[in-house]
Amino acid sequence: MIKKADVILLILIVAVGLIISFGPLAKQAGGTDVKITVNGETYGIYSLMEDQTIEISKDGHTNVIIIEDGTVRMKSSTCKNQICVDHGKISLIGDSIVCLPNRVVVEIEGKGGDVDVISG
Amino acid sequence: MSSQARTPRKADKRTRLLAISAMFAALALIFSYVEILIPIPVPVPGIKLGLANLVIIIALYRMGFKYAFTINMVRIVAAGLLFSGVFGMIYSLAGGVLSIIVMYLLYRTGLFSMVGVSMAGGVCHNLGQLLTACLLLSNTGILSYFSVLLFSGIISGIAIGIIAYVIEKRLPAFAE
Repeated sequence: MIKKADVILLILIVAVGLIISFGPLAKQAGGTDVKITVNGETYGIYSLMEDQTIEISKDGHTNVIIIEDGTVRMKSSTCKNQICVDHGKISLIGDSIVCLPNRVVVEIEGKGGDVDVISG
Repeated sequence: MSSQARTPRKADKRTRLLAISAMFAALALIFSYVEILIPIPVPVPGIKLGLANLVIIIALYRMGFKYAFTINMVRIVAAGLLFSGVFGMIYSLAGGVLSIIVMYLLYRTGLFSMVGVSMAGGVCHNLGQLLTACLLLSNTGILSYFSVLLFSGIISGIAIGIIAYVIEKRLPAFAE
């Protein structure tokens, strides 16, 4: 039922998969800015150093994002699955909280290092 | 009935395959629904069993790429309209198309068993969905989810492949 070629295929898939997963996040360091993207458009860039609360209301969805002590978290979201809220705090460059249903992406960016992985 | 006594004509075969395709599409749709009912205790979107792929992979082996592809499209569009909404449908379409093309190509090489084909299909389905999410959100950071989806795709793909193998052996011939 299981052939030798299947095992080779499995190893290949795992190898390629791990490269795809971790390739863009090779460098990680504390970030300085928080970039919020809604519907693929930049909504705003905020400093990670200033404590603040950002409320995003768009297309009938509301997401509340809190910046506190150099970390960012999604305090609340009107989406069904609440994955973004459960994601917890993020603070490293390249880290992100994604709310797929409301199409909100919160990302940490840093000045200096070449960490620009955003295209389009 | 009487049609079984004489040799089936080409049109009979086509009609049979058409009826079987419709049944397969309905079955795949039911599996999509059953999957929603099964709660998965991991807070990562995209992890699922892929029960519908069971139908698709058997269709691919028994009826060929064209039938399997069409059944899959019908299943995704119907499930999208009924359960997951249009955005869910876009993700499923990307995953479904990528996974069935990869499964067909692997199947054509003749090197891999159903388990290997199904495993690659499961992973490609997740990859297709994730790539679409990257495009829609213009963000490649989401690819880090792939590490989780990769292993869930492999595990569920292997499980579905084993079930498909067992079932396919026991199914009678569709059309002579």
